[in-house]
Amino acid sequence: MAMELSNKMSRGIIERIKEISGQDPHLCMQCGTCSAGCTGREVMELLPRQVMRLIQLGDARVLHCRSIWVCSTCLLCTARCPRGIDLARLMEALRVINLRSGREVLVAEKIPVELLTRVPQMALTSGMRKLSA
Amino acid sequence: MKIPYFPGCTLYNKARGLDNSTRASLAALGVELAELPRWTCCGTVFPLARDNYMGMVAAARILAGVAGEGEDRLLTVCSFCYNVLKRVNYEMQHNLEARQKLNNYLEENYTGEIQVVHPLEICKEHVGFDAIRARAGRNLKGLKVACYYGCMLVRPALEMGFDDPENPTIMEELVAALGAEVVEYPHKTTCCGSYQVLHENDLVMQRVQDILNSAVAKGAEAIITSCPLCQFNLDWLQEKILEQDTGFRQIPVLYFTQLLGVALELPRESLGLEQHYVDPRPLLLGAMPHLR
Repeated sequence: MAMELSNKMSRGIIERIKEISGQDPHLCMQCGTCSAGCTGREVMELLPRQVMRLIQLGDARVLHCRSIWVCSTCLLCTARCPRGIDLARLMEALRVINLRSGREVLVAEKIPVELLTRVPQMALTSGMRKLSA
Repeated sequence: MKIPYFPGCTLYNKARGLDNSTRASLAALGVELAELPRWTCCGTVFPLARDNYMGMVAAARILAGVAGEGEDRLLTVCSFCYNVLKRVNYEMQHNLEARQKLNNYLEENYTGEIQVVHPLEICKEHVGFDAIRARAGRNLKGLKVACYYGCMLVRPALEMGFDDPENPTIMEELVAALGAEVVEYPHKTTCCGSYQVLHENDLVMQRVQDILNSAVAKGAEAIITSCPLCQFNLDWLQEKILEQDTGFRQIPVLYFTQLLGVALELPRESLGLEQHYVDPRPLLLGAMPHLR
């Protein structure tokens, strides 16, 4: 039940998300503009709008969704949000809370060797910075 | 005109063609790039977590170093370098806490006075597109070119201050000045998938296919960009796409400085055209008789 989600622990998480991102997720009116333009939407199980809704509800499950790792911080959502919310910063906050507790999705050993030898250096440095603890 | 130049790590390795063609084409336009005597990685991505000042240190150090040399501008061409240097500079100008913390750490007193500039801006504002038009040969006449900006050059609009964030046209203006034909298509500022190529290959391939197909459908014969990662994703993945879709039409993806170099009839050693997966040389043979 939705009400059960607003317990003390989830309020703590939402405060941390707000603090790290500097954004107020409650400004979101769920219009879906972010989701419509999102580069990664086709492989996200929760669209950016739905991620926003879970944050508003203080639902800690938002920390475990794949969407936050699919976000490539291209800032299209941020540029178009009619409420002026920097969604990319909220996505980053969700990632860094994970990274700071050791949860990561980009493990250097798992990058295919063929790719590793060809990809530009900037992809490795940015990928490791964004997705790796 | 002489401008301090920050090449960045990728331009010293995988994107040598971008480095060489930037130096050579700007030199031909009377702009000399003076590479910084000492430089480090820029940090690649701007940290979006408000408490992550550590992610800004590298860029702040580079900027403060340039200011310490008495310079007022810094030119860089890689979209990632340009984005992070410009955004950290913006923080140094407007975020007093960031300024103080970074200066304390670096033992500097930098306040964001360096102007971070991109070669496209130099071409437009300092050289001028009319001067480029007069200087360019007629060898690109009829070539249909789609401009791809990606995300890092234009967003976020306030901090980047680079053209229109939804519909930038500076690269198209350059293409027109070079005598080539501009192809309009809808994906010029959508993301190619960026570093997700490391762990979400299918997603990036889908994005790349959408971008390429859209440009090709509008008649493009070549795509130009300023970002080594966009170039890699758009170029290299065509090999993979072709494996899955034999009807796929390949298209060369060049750096805008390479196209500029071709138009300025620069020697081919300075252009690095042989480093791409989809070879642009057959397309450009007519434009570059000395390639034959």
